[in-house]
Parts: sequence; C-alpha cells; structure tokens
Amino acid sequence: MASLRHGPRPWTFYALATFFALFVLFLYGPMIVIYVLSFQGPNGGMTFPINGFSLHWFKALIEQERTGDIAGAFRRSLVLACIVGALTVLLSVMAGLGFRRRFRGASFVFYMAIASLIMPGLFVSLGIGIGFQMLGIAPAWYTSALGAQLTWTLPYGLLIMFAVLGRFNRAYEEAATDLGASNWQRLTQVTLPIVLPGIIGVALFGFTLSYDEFPRTLLAAGSTNTLPLEIWAMTTNVTSPALYAVGTVTTIVSFIVIAAALTAIALIERRRLRRISAAERTIGED
Amino acid sequence: MSGWRRLAKLQPQIISWLEVGPLALILLLFFGVPMLIVLGVSFFDYGRVQMIPAFIFDNYIELFTSSLTLRLYLTTLKYVVIVWAVTLVIGFTVAYFLVFHVRSLLWQIGLFLLCTVPFWTSNIIRMISWIPFLGRHGVFNQALMAVGLIHQPLSFLLFSDFAVIVAYVHLNTLFMIVPIFNSMARIDPSLLEAASDAGAGRLRVVREIVLPLSKTGIALGSIFVITLVMGDFFVVKVMSGGQSSTVVSALSTEIASLQYPPAAASSVILVVIVALIVSAILRLVDVRKELTG
Amino acid sequence: MNAKTETNSKGTTRRNVMKAAAAGTGLALGSGVVQGFPTIWAQNLKNIKLIQVGGSYSAIIDIAKQATKDLGFQVEMQTADEVSLLNRLINEPRTIDIADIEYYFQNYLIGRNIIQPIPLSKYKWWDKTVPIFTKGEYPDGRKVSRQGTLPYKVQYLESRDAKTFAKHPTDLLSGVPTVFNADTLGIRPDLIHRPIEHWYELLNPEFKGRTAIVDVPSIGIMDAAMAIESRGDLKYGDKGNMTREEIDKTIAILTAAKKAGQFRAFWSTFDESVNLMASGEVVIQSMWSPAVTAVKSRGMSCYYVPLKEGYRAWASCIAPMAHLSGLKLDAAFEYINWYNSGWQGAFIARQGYYSSVPETARKFLTDDEWGYWYEGKPAQHDIKDPYGNLMEKAGRVRDGGSFWQRMGNVACWNTLMDEDRYMVRRWNEFVSA
Repeated sequence: MASLRHGPRPWTFYALATFFALFVLFLYGPMIVIYVLSFQGPNGGMTFPINGFSLHWFKALIEQERTGDIAGAFRRSLVLACIVGALTVLLSVMAGLGFRRRFRGASFVFYMAIASLIMPGLFVSLGIGIGFQMLGIAPAWYTSALGAQLTWTLPYGLLIMFAVLGRFNRAYEEAATDLGASNWQRLTQVTLPIVLPGIIGVALFGFTLSYDEFPRTLLAAGSTNTLPLEIWAMTTNVTSPALYAVGTVTTIVSFIVIAAALTAIALIERRRLRRISAAERTIGED
Repeated sequence: MSGWRRLAKLQPQIISWLEVGPLALILLLFFGVPMLIVLGVSFFDYGRVQMIPAFIFDNYIELFTSSLTLRLYLTTLKYVVIVWAVTLVIGFTVAYFLVFHVRSLLWQIGLFLLCTVPFWTSNIIRMISWIPFLGRHGVFNQALMAVGLIHQPLSFLLFSDFAVIVAYVHLNTLFMIVPIFNSMARIDPSLLEAASDAGAGRLRVVREIVLPLSKTGIALGSIFVITLVMGDFFVVKVMSGGQSSTVVSALSTEIASLQYPPAAASSVILVVIVALIVSAILRLVDVRKELTG
Repeated sequence: MNAKTETNSKGTTRRNVMKAAAAGTGLALGSGVVQGFPTIWAQNLKNIKLIQVGGSYSAIIDIAKQATKDLGFQVEMQTADEVSLLNRLINEPRTIDIADIEYYFQNYLIGRNIIQPIPLSKYKWWDKTVPIFTKGEYPDGRKVSRQGTLPYKVQYLESRDAKTFAKHPTDLLSGVPTVFNADTLGIRPDLIHRPIEHWYELLNPEFKGRTAIVDVPSIGIMDAAMAIESRGDLKYGDKGNMTREEIDKTIAILTAAKKAGQFRAFWSTFDESVNLMASGEVVIQSMWSPAVTAVKSRGMSCYYVPLKEGYRAWASCIAPMAHLSGLKLDAAFEYINWYNSGWQGAFIARQGYYSSVPETARKFLTDDEWGYWYEGKPAQHDIKDPYGNLMEKAGRVRDGGSFWQRMGNVACWNTLMDEDRYMVRRWNEFVSA
C-alpha cells in the first residue's frame, strides 16, 4: 500500500466498496418495496401483490383526500425542518466557536446540552405542552414544537461542531491575525470556509432530525400535525399506499436537492481554488 | 467592527458567552424549565385520573422495589449494547471507506448523501416497511425458501428482538457515520502514507493511527446512538410486536394512562443513568479538551 | 385552504345553509339549521373555524369538508392517536375546539373544566337516539350490560362543574353520542377450518404462535378477561372494573400463555392488526371492524366472528371544549346537530360503524345499504365503502347479523378501571415478561 490516494486501488478498496454497497442495499432494500408499491392502482393495499399501476396515490397526496392532511403536514414539516436546520447551524456554530475559549459556566451549558439529548423526548414535549398551557400561550408547530425540536438538534449540532472544530489548525487563524485581519474578516474568510463542510453536515443533521422528529413533537405540536405525527395518527386507521407515495416523493425531492447541493459545493470549491491560485500569483508577483 | 475588536481584547469570556448564549437560552427555556416541571411532578401523588401535588417519595420507592424496573433496564441495555456495537462497526467501516478510499471530494459527499437520503423518508414509514419484508410470508422468507435454504418460514425474523435490532440499526447508523466521518476527514492522509511507507501493515495503521485520531467521532456517535435507542419507544413497540418493552416504552404506557408522576420519576432515573453512561464515555474521550487545546 | 373557503362562502353563507337544509332530509330537519342563526350572526359566521380532534376512525376529513359546505363556517379535522389525544385534552385544551372522544375518556375529564356539557335543549336528536345511550336499555326494556363504561353511566351531569356523573337522566349531556360498535375477535376461516364460537379460542394452544391481542392495557385486558372467563378459569365480578386480585390472576394467566408462545404479537395500531391478519401471521385476534374489512379488501377471507359470550362494545361522543363561548360555541352546537343529522352517520355506516341516530343516517343510505349494514339482510348489489371501493359482493350478509343482533349482545364496554394505576403497572410487567 504505497499510497491510499494515488496509484492502483488496493484490494481493501474492493472489500470495503462491497461492504459499502451491502450497507446501501440494507438501507434501500425496504425502501425499494415502498417505491414500487406507491405506484399501485386505486384498489392497492400496503403489501404485495401489486394491484394495477397508476399515479393515483400521488394525486391523493396533493388533494387531501381521505389520506388525511398529508400535503399540509408535509409542507409544515418541510418548513419546520428548514427553520430548525438554519437555527441549528447558526446557534451551534456560534456556540462551537464560543466553546473554544474556556469560560465560566462552560461545563454547565455543556452538560445541559447532554442532558437535553438524553431526556426522553416524550417528556420534553409533555413538559413544554404543560409549560405553554400554564403561560396561556397556544402551542403551535412553529413555536412550541420548534422549541421542542431545538432541544434535540442543538446538542447534536454542538457536538458535531466539537468534532468539526477539534484539531482545527489554529495556525491559519493566527496567520490571518498576524497579517492584520480583523476578527470578523478572520471569521468569514478563514475560519468559516475551512469548517464549511462540517457546517453543511450540521445543517443536514438539523434538517433530518427535525423532519423525522416524533416523540418531542407529539405533545407540543398544537392544532396541526407535522408529517410524522400525521403518519402516526394515520396508522391507527386504514392506511393507504399514499403513505408510500410520501416516501417516493421525499426520495425524489432529496435526490434533486442533493444534486443541487453538490453542484453548489463544486462551484464554491472551484471558486476558492481560483481565488487561492490568484492570491498565490499576487504573492508571487510581490 | 472596531467596537467588537475592543470588546474582544477586553473580555474574551464575554464573547464566548455572547456566542454560546442563544443556544444556552433556548435550552434553558425549552429543556431546563420542562425538566424542572418533570422533577417536581416526580414527587407528586396521583389518583386514578389526576395528579395530586405533594412531596412524596412513593414513586421512587415503587420504582426501586419493583422487579419490573430491573427487567426493563436489562432489556434496554441489551438493545443498546448490541445496536451500539453493530452501528459502530458499520459506521467506522463506511466512514473509513468514504474518507480513505474514495478519492474525489464530490464522490465522497455524493456517496455520503446517498446514505442520508433514506433518512428523509419518515422513520415510521421506514420502520413499517420492514414488516412485509421480514414476516413469515415476507420477501425474505420467501427468498430463502425459494433457494431451498429453509423449508419452514423463520418466525423469529419479525416481532422479536432481532426485528427490533434490525430496525434500530437501519434507523440509527447514520448518526454513527456522520461524526466518525467528520473526525476522519480531518486526519492528514500523509500521516497514513508515512506510516505505511515505514512498513506498518494496514491493520496496524488503522489501529494505531486512524482509530485514536477518530475517537472523538466514535465517542460522539456512540452518545448519539445510545441516547437514540434509550429514548425510543415506538420502534420497540411495533417491531417486537408489543412483546418486549424498554424503560421508555413502559413509560409511554404510563403517560398514555395519564399517570405522570411515576413516569416522571422513571424518566428522572433514566436521565441520571444515561448521564452516567455519557460521562463515562466523556471520561475516556474528552471531546471538549481537543477543542480548547 | 382558508382563501378557498372564504370565496366559497362569501355572501352566500345563508344560501349555503339553506341549500344544506334542502339537501338534507326535508324541511323539518332543515328549518332547525336555519333558525339556529340570526342573520346578523351569519355575517361573522364565515370567519369561524372549528377544529375537531379525534381518532382517525372518526375524525375523517371528508366529514369536515361536507360540514364546511353545509354550514357556512369552516370545520377542520385533526387525527390523533389515543395517547396524544388524551394528553392534549388535559394539557393543551385550547388547541382543540371539538373533542371527539371515546366515552370512557369522560372518566378522566369530569370535573376538570376541559369539555363543556351540552344542554339537552341545544341538541335536537336526543329523542331519536338509540336508548342504549339515553336510558341504558334496549328498545325492549332489557338493561344493557353495566360492565365497563356503559355510555349511560357517564352520559348525564347534574351541573357543569359536577364531580361525579348523574345516576339518572338530567338535562345536561356530558357529550353527544356519535359512532359506536361491537367488537369481537377476527379470524381467518380459510386457515382455521372449523367454526369458532367462544372467546376461549384466543387462548387455545391449537393456535399457538398465531394469536394476537391489542396492546392498549385497558382494552387488551378485557379481551383477555372475556377469553379467561369463557374458558372457566375465573368468574369476574365486573370485567370492566376488576379488583386487584382479579387483575393479578388475569395477568398470571396471560403471562403463562405468553411464555408458552401463545401470542405472535400485541398490536398497537390499526394497521398492525390488518397486516398481522392479511399476512397470515395470525389467525385469531382482537380486531376493529374496519380492520376486518381492510383484510377482506385484499382478497383474504376474514370473519368478524360472533361469539356466544357476546361483544366488547365501545362508543364515541363529541363535545365542545370548555374554552368555547359566544358565537363560536353556537357554531359548535350547530355543528354537533349537523353531525348527527345523517350525512356523517351514513358515511361511517359504510365503514361498518353505527350512528347513535340511525334513522337520520338511513336517509343518506340506499335501502340496500341500510339492509346490509343495519338489518342483517343479504346485499342486493355490491356494497361500497365511503370512497366507492368494493367492500362486499352482492349476496353477502354482514358478520354477526343485524344491528340488534350485534348490539343486543354486549358483554362489556371499553373502560377505565378504578384500579387503573395498578393494572397498567401489571400490564407493563406482562409485556416485558
């Protein structure tokens, strides 16, 4: 193994690639069943055999039929997940940077975050529900449920920022300061670009955790359901392949979002490389 | 900006607090306060349908004297340990593959996201999708019988500990992959090259360089997976066919019957126990130490 | 959604109400609807929005759409599972306008000022309501089983803030009865090959590993008690209100059965029960009626078998939340009256549930549907569900027969026991055993 980065691929590559492929198969295996079953005819059920072929269940999604308010719940969950994702990035990146200095109360905040992570979600939502009731504020998905989900995504975001910022080479920052950069310039032009992939990770995490969140939202969502709550409520009655259609739609949407994100990252990388080489040229000219 | 700078010179502590403040405030409001309510309620008495404000230890005494408690914790721990081990092996291997064997950054991110996509389909749907797959007449049994490996359908595949663990691994592995991936991504590849150039075997490189350098990620991933499994109640209910119960699923049955005080006491104990586990992990790997250097 | 409804009802509120009345069952019925609202109020009416929250078997979106169309104000349905519904009622009552609950929930809610009772004078179908609710009797004067929460036991209140239910009829209703049904065991006759006539078959080792019960402690334990009593192991004083000793014995028998591998699963959602049965994992289990239908609609044979010992019945009611007042409360009463005026009754009849006011529902059903669902007659034509899908082929008779054959043989009602606290703890032990 002369090199991991160059030259012919070692045998471990193929072994690990096979392992990875099997893992992806494990992840998608049951999902494929979902995708296939979502294209059933109007009389189709939740299991095989397939009963005709149609887009009926996708139409049912949009039309808010007996499937319950899936469309509305989907919309709410999407918006909520975006808000939670954005807040999680903003607050946990800030906090992560803050934790790089020692400060009074750091341990308190840290252990509160840990405790927040491990508190059974059902109780968080119950506590928030009761709290809002005592204050006379109407709970809603964009207030109480948002708060409930943040008690969950923020600790995650914070811990991931620890992994992202840990062993972060301070030399870059010090060099920037030595070159006369202000704190703000140092943050936006040195620190953030370097930790950007980590930040994207936090955003994805925040989004995913919120979009799937169930126990913390259960008793704190107010008068309207988020998608997981709607689906859970639906399973107490006859469910239809419309559920599966949700799965298919989210997967397709996800792939589109990912393609867009990858393109964006590729563009940013290219621009950064160009800027760096431009900078090098300037230095060279000096 | 100049004001900011002056402030920074004056008092770095204040900046830290300004940066950490919003997060701390939200956690205080939405976690600290409800937690206090729960703590208070755990000392309440309760009648058939309502709580009676009081300060009694009955809920805790009942908890510690019941053999049920021990049984619930044993079941929960069994799931936690197995799921943790499985997700750790998968998570480490997948992250290792992505970081050290996939050469292009775009491919890395692309494959990484490929693992993320299923997580954007609701957990509940993904969990339910295992049922037609694992059942006695499910796809898997049919396939095994078709190739002649078995003659009777295997019933332990569904509504069993096995099914619960499969679902947990399916639902939670991502949370192991992400932090390990993040840690590994920061290992300088030249370090590995140097080691192998110096004649270290592959396994030794992994054991002596990759493993120690990704321990932050491993610790964080472990915390995520352990807390996820310990906090869950619906996977265990559905996938065990209601035949198994963990601490939180028992607690959810109590909440379902509006029996808040014993459920509160039980969750206080749970938080304490999980906190002990987490602080043990943090003792092994102080994730904050690396940060403050 | 909002904008759409508003344009729909802009300036035509009154006409819509009239139209609804006409589309109803005649002027006698309709005139009440119109009289409910002075014209001045009708102006503000379109801004009213009522949120009904209930189980997915009754809080059906189509019902809200029809109500919105008929009434000139907006009705929204939200489904919630039992746990979140009960907890929300208690902790976040303001997120709900109309509570759609099972009768036994009344035990939790009484004296807490969460829902408000309905004065008899505001509700116009009481005379036409099935006497099970109004008198706790069958039409022939026989008393209905008192085991468990017979709706009549929690139906009447002395006053709004009463702490206990009235022993005799008063003019204050704790809730207005809506849907109800008699539950029994579902079986797969094609896999059992012999008649099933008693509850004890649930515990029969012949079906080892192929039975299931519902994992809602208060209901599951009653199904178990029906089986245990039918096998002759135990004679209960009141299956709906067991003593600690009875609970212990029941749990002991269940635990032994569980350890012997009798049960394949304890299901907690409707869907699970359908999948268990449809996949053949289970051949005999506790089930809800529409679940049986769902299994049939997949081409499997499934039978909601009438048993000698009788049925375990349940009933739901709706009530306005305590925070409603003024115009909104009036709208709520109007809605409650609409609810039982027939459209909804017919809709849920096609899912296999009964309406508390069958004669209004009848007007929205074809004679054939009425004959099949209520009278136990063979279907003349194919029977369709509310969405037009085939439920039953022509010639079939409803499982268990007519309304009174089924509802006339109730052994016990879904309930909340006095020893609930103890029972839940023991149930948790059983599940984890």
